[in-house]
Amino acid sequence: MRTGLRVAVCILLLFGAFGLCIHYGATYDTNWPHPTGEQLDTDYEEYVDERILLIGEVQSTDPVDETLTIEITDDADEVAAEIEVHDTTATVEPGGTVQAYGTLQADETMTASETVVVNHGPTESQYKLAVSVVGILFAIGYFLTQWQLNLQQLTFDQRSNTTEADHNG
Amino acid sequence: MAELLSHVLIAYTIFTVARWYVEWFTKRWVAMGMIGALLPDLSRIGLFVTDATIETTLGVPFNIGAVHTLGGISILAAIGSLVVADHHRTAFILLVAGGISHLLTDGLKIWADGAASAWLYPFSWYRHPTPGLYVSSDYRVLVVVGSIALIVALVDRRIIHQQ
Repeated sequence: MRTGLRVAVCILLLFGAFGLCIHYGATYDTNWPHPTGEQLDTDYEEYVDERILLIGEVQSTDPVDETLTIEITDDADEVAAEIEVHDTTATVEPGGTVQAYGTLQADETMTASETVVVNHGPTESQYKLAVSVVGILFAIGYFLTQWQLNLQQLTFDQRSNTTEADHNG
Repeated sequence: MAELLSHVLIAYTIFTVARWYVEWFTKRWVAMGMIGALLPDLSRIGLFVTDATIETTLGVPFNIGAVHTLGGISILAAIGSLVVADHHRTAFILLVAGGISHLLTDGLKIWADGAASAWLYPFSWYRHPTPGLYVSSDYRVLVVVGSIALIVALVDRRIIHQQ
């Protein structure tokens, strides 16, 4: 395929990816069964006495009362709600992340039926980030042992030192 | 989601084993599948530019989470397949397969409400029940996946040596 045509198709596909994100954003609230940060912020009353799932960063914990306070953010990463989750024995530090599933109350509390600790503390999100960077470098490094960049054609070509059987796909 | 190293090692393991049985399946396609396993997490661009910033700029709803779905990886795979010099169809299939291995692995993790994310979008918003095998920060995932990948790498070396 000619370089110009390939670039044109790639640009069209990038617009397609952008369009998919717009459609996903436009339809998410009606299809996702739980409220987003924005929905909690603007229509809190609508979800009172409903069983909902919240994902948030832990602000404080009280193991004696079996409660923890979590912050729910919106699309701009601004705090949309602060909810006190009751009936949870989850072991987590402030700065950790939890999923809480339970019944939302009018006084910005939730009675949890299930709490999942995603990150016990801030160090676990740093662990995930660091290990993920290693994963990206490993995948790219392995890829570059098999493929090389052809700047003239703006393509990746098979390296000439790879001598295994090929496929006419 | 699990961290990306586990996803890449899972793809390495699956496609290396496939290589033992399919003659044309060379290391370059293993590498392509591993790149495919990275695709869903391109949604992490959201760590640098929030959806709200894009929504304000464009004046339309926007959610980068679409990338972490079957539709998202299909479009990204199509772009990726055009970046290689030839064998575009095979490249596309391997990129999608790598992406699906990532989404399926994520479909096994714990959700407090018992259902996985709606990763079949745009074909469906269905959230299948999840077996709840792990949380993303569980280092044991990497230990198990890494051990299996290491065994596969050693066996692969032996097979190649024998050939």
